[in-house]
Amino acid sequence: MATLLNADVVKQIEDAFAPMKESVHILYFGQKENCDYCDDAQQLLEEVVAISDKLTLTIYDLDDDADVAKNYNVDKAPGIVIAAKDGDVVSDFGVRFAGIPSGHEFTSLIQDILLVSGRDSGLSQETRDFLKELTEPVLLQVFVTPT
Amino acid sequence: MVQAEMVEAMEFQQLSSKYNVSGVPQTTINDGAANVVGAIPESNMLAELKRIMSK
Repeated sequence: MATLLNADVVKQIEDAFAPMKESVHILYFGQKENCDYCDDAQQLLEEVVAISDKLTLTIYDLDDDADVAKNYNVDKAPGIVIAAKDGDVVSDFGVRFAGIPSGHEFTSLIQDILLVSGRDSGLSQETRDFLKELTEPVLLQVFVTPT
Repeated sequence: MVQAEMVEAMEFQQLSSKYNVSGVPQTTINDGAANVVGAIPESNMLAELKRIMSK
């Protein structure tokens, strides 16, 4: 099968991943039917994960692994969770992608991986203080188009 | 407590039309409690969250 990422892009990602400190675990949720971009999304993640030994990937199916999907609050395919991994412990940082991260969103994917690897949101103290006091969940959905 | 999801608007059109997505990026908070079109700086996001959560 032809690769989605060419050698130049792989080199760029290698450079971007070079300063990565901590490990990142990606959970991918596909679906067998009515998912035009599932195969490409899965292949894209497999190619990205192969670039760094600090990255791991688990492939799930939205229907067959409904319990895992529910646990991570994933209800769309392709669905991607970018989580932290320390030893065998996977920590959910709440970062999700619904749909294939192609085009400009591929940059977002790489940046999210780096952000989770750094274990630091980069948010201001004021924002952190507010979020610490939250008593109800917050769901942010950022609608984007891949171009 | 916080989940942030990038949603591909073309792929999930039902959701896009539910929240009347007309321009991207659009940030929808808590199922439409707030909708912000365009890039949203952290301070604005914080203000929106404070506004919604105090209701």
